[in-house]
Amino acid sequence: MNKTNDINVSSLSKAQRTSKIIRYTVIYIFLTIMAVIVIFPFYWMIISSFKTLEEYRANVPTLWPQHIVFENFSEAFSKANLWDLFLHTMYVGLISTVLSLIVTVLSAFAFARLNFKGKNVVFGLLMATMMVPGELYTITNYMTVSGRLPFLSEPVESLDFTNTFAVLIFPMLVSVFYIYLLRQTFLQIPNELYLAAKVDGTSDFKYLWKVMLPLSVSTIITITILKMMGAWNAYIWPRLVANDAAHQLITNGLRGASFTNEFGDVNYPAQMAAVTIVSIPLFLVFVFLRKYIMRGVSRSGIKG
Amino acid sequence: MRIILQNLTKCFPSRNKKSNEIVTAVKDLSIEIPDGKLIGLLGPSGCGKSTTLYMICGLQKPTEGKIYFGDSDVTNLEPEHRGVGLVFQNYALYPHLTVKQNILFPLQNLKGAEKLSKDEMLNRAQHAADLVQIGELMDRKPNELSGGQQQRVAIARALVKTPRVLLLDEPLSNLDARLRLQTREEIKRIQRETGVTTVFVTHDQEEAMSISDMIVVMKNGVVQQVGEPQKVYDDPDNLFVAQFLGTPPINTFDGVVTGGKLYIGNDCIADVPGVEDQPVAVGIRPEGFIPADDGGLSGRLINVEVMGRDCSVVFANEKSRKPSVRAIIDSDLKIATGGDNAIRFNIKRNKVFIFNNETGERIRF
Amino acid sequence: MNKDLKKPKNRISLKGDLDGRNQYKAWLYLSPALILLLIFSFYPLINTFRMAFANGYNGLAIVGGETFDFGIENFKTVVNYVDFKLCLKNTLLLCVITVPISTVLALLIAVALNSIKPLQKIYQTIFFLPYVTNSIAIGMVFNAMFTRVGLGDLIQTQGIINNIIGIFGIGPINFVNVGSSWGANMFVVCTYIVWNAIPFKILVLLGGLQNVNKQYYEAAKIDGTSKLRTFFKITIPLVSPMLAYVIITSFIGGFKEYSSIVGIFGEGMGPGGNGQMNTIVGYVYNMLPKSNLGNASAASLILFGIILIVTAINGYVSKKKVHY
Repeated sequence: MNKTNDINVSSLSKAQRTSKIIRYTVIYIFLTIMAVIVIFPFYWMIISSFKTLEEYRANVPTLWPQHIVFENFSEAFSKANLWDLFLHTMYVGLISTVLSLIVTVLSAFAFARLNFKGKNVVFGLLMATMMVPGELYTITNYMTVSGRLPFLSEPVESLDFTNTFAVLIFPMLVSVFYIYLLRQTFLQIPNELYLAAKVDGTSDFKYLWKVMLPLSVSTIITITILKMMGAWNAYIWPRLVANDAAHQLITNGLRGASFTNEFGDVNYPAQMAAVTIVSIPLFLVFVFLRKYIMRGVSRSGIKG
Repeated sequence: MRIILQNLTKCFPSRNKKSNEIVTAVKDLSIEIPDGKLIGLLGPSGCGKSTTLYMICGLQKPTEGKIYFGDSDVTNLEPEHRGVGLVFQNYALYPHLTVKQNILFPLQNLKGAEKLSKDEMLNRAQHAADLVQIGELMDRKPNELSGGQQQRVAIARALVKTPRVLLLDEPLSNLDARLRLQTREEIKRIQRETGVTTVFVTHDQEEAMSISDMIVVMKNGVVQQVGEPQKVYDDPDNLFVAQFLGTPPINTFDGVVTGGKLYIGNDCIADVPGVEDQPVAVGIRPEGFIPADDGGLSGRLINVEVMGRDCSVVFANEKSRKPSVRAIIDSDLKIATGGDNAIRFNIKRNKVFIFNNETGERIRF
Repeated sequence: MNKDLKKPKNRISLKGDLDGRNQYKAWLYLSPALILLLIFSFYPLINTFRMAFANGYNGLAIVGGETFDFGIENFKTVVNYVDFKLCLKNTLLLCVITVPISTVLALLIAVALNSIKPLQKIYQTIFFLPYVTNSIAIGMVFNAMFTRVGLGDLIQTQGIINNIIGIFGIGPINFVNVGSSWGANMFVVCTYIVWNAIPFKILVLLGGLQNVNKQYYEAAKIDGTSKLRTFFKITIPLVSPMLAYVIITSFIGGFKEYSSIVGIFGEGMGPGGNGQMNTIVGYVYNMLPKSNLGNASAASLILFGIILIVTAINGYVSKKKVHY
């Protein structure tokens, strides 16, 4: 009796093991195929940037460059003016980040720590603006910065700020989302720390500077990264208001750059080299600072 | 520093925003706290003891009434100008600062004439740390310390400005039982050494009784009784105080006074000359029972728990307000039970209190 | 935040006490943000409505005492405009195609990732890789992969994708070059959007799956529940809040789709700049430099309306379907 039972159990477990092996094989095959698809554009971008134009155009594609060439990168730098674009983007990015942090910290502090009449109303109003698509603002903001004020028949020349760095910085300075993010972080700091500081005669500002900010470093880093990435990836607004050579940001420059040679052919390897250069900082940010981005982005649904 | 609280009342808008009710947390509280003493504010949660502490500290402003430190009226003074040190229940140490930086923090806020030199600050911080015996932990961060050590740091931070008044909010509630005993001795020692007037809040009567020079028992925002712990225990003003103090708690019975005698059921347990005939609440301390064959109070034995020196006799009595009555007696005493587990006790006269059935006020005899 | 700071049981409310004196200070702290928002968010919001409802508005008000009648003229113009209808159709199709595909794929990948142990971290990193990308830049890569170089007999390479599908005997197809069909373009754009959207969804869904209490699965196993049934009856309901979240965010993102298409086709929004892949947002931006501000505003309000409706529907459905 016992024996037959044993046999049944072992054959059953054998069948289970087989089905388990099949299941895992299927899972790994599926994941591998998907992984190849996900990674392929990056792979193609990078190897293309090292190919000669002839090799890129070859009828039979090569999956690894036969001759690794670096000229495409120097071509990218000169054709797309990448160095200038990089400087412009860094300049705009850094200044917007610093100013934006100041504004965000002050507002988040007021919302998290101070009590005043109308706080909930103002906060609710700000939160509601997160629902509104940015395109709705863009139209009027475009008019505002180009000096076309309401109820005036002529654009005001002296108020035309198009093709300046200021116009790339100020209209996008306040992000309600960052205020929300930092306020949430501030709210997690126990009330007692504030009360303790008050008993010791600490001013609000000193408390903010010495206690709240050090305790919110990771959110500050998150905001900094998102803001810098914002400048790096900005396209629509800069194209509209500051698309001249002296102020162009990197994404605009990349899209606008012409990689067409004298025969009217696009030099794809050079273009891919430029795209690679633009993508590398994002990769580095992703590899080293992933956790900070994910904190912010998974809460907002915005993409980098 | 002597502290006088005069007719303090504190009202809050109700948490429920829809109703415009006002919650009165503290009502017409007047007490005088003598200089250099350790005072325990005692009561169940929600009784207004923390609010009182915060009003002394200045973090909350009384709706009505006055607060005096010595002779000066500090009612409208901001906390930083009152010269108080406050230790929070969760210690509220700045988690990103070391122990030393935490203790230095209040000193760095001093301005004008009070401003200290860097060396002076370090000296003061070291002195405060030595006082609470954490001199060796100065470079650690709070999360590297045990609960007891964190508390010491919090006390050092409160003391470093040499405050006139030290306030402690539930100082022992975040500690485990063993540390609690040790820490309460420590608080007493620190208070004696510094001589600073100290007020602490607790819901644990044992804690308050064991170290306070004076306790203030509160309920629903109203002071019930003020006095030395032993005195309040021995001579409670009302049923609430009698019930709140003492472990195990006082036993309560429905009793009746007839012709100058106090009855529980049919048992006459004491002569109460001069007390009017009326139904009363009777409280008998657990240590007030002496087993005796001819004792006045009868009961049916349920259980005897021997706990070393003492033993605890649990018995039933029809008139008890709880299912069982607990008596603590010397374990040498023999407990004789009659048929059907019947047991009788004589009652120590000074361990019996009677209270008005409606108001709970003590009726003295 | 710090774990060593225990939250006290009852917080002391300081309403009307300590914080009461901060009235003016609070507004001081808020003022930089509020001033900027007033100029660049609240005023534009109102002004957009004004422009959208001013018939024939061109951005410059009251020329020589001319005033504008208020009405829905702009909206009529916009919705009757052939270009706008194309944009609306493109946008709707993009959403309807890409949202389900990317959500299902992401869910499958997330479940697969969650069920393996060896190599899980490596796969996870690979799948998150497209998470922070420059959508214009990678759009250009997709363009390169689908583009054939050369014309007619002079075609030198069909592009890597055509090379690959050629192995299976398909094609070559003109995906993105001049003369390519609307359908082929749509395929490329949808492929790119799905590729781009998957990492974020995997991230959110995997987070949800990892938070599911293992005991539910153990209980199901003991009951002898089949894997498929477990998936539909336990896994899906338990991650339904995350599913709802990724679906709504990708719908909203889909309605605002613009830069992916610019990445692939440039600002011409179609092969050879013919605009056949244009979207609502693209339409708004096309109107802008032409000073056709009334129409642009009306179009952006239509977009806003669509997004509000989608959000509302989602809120309603979530309440009914999403567990917890």
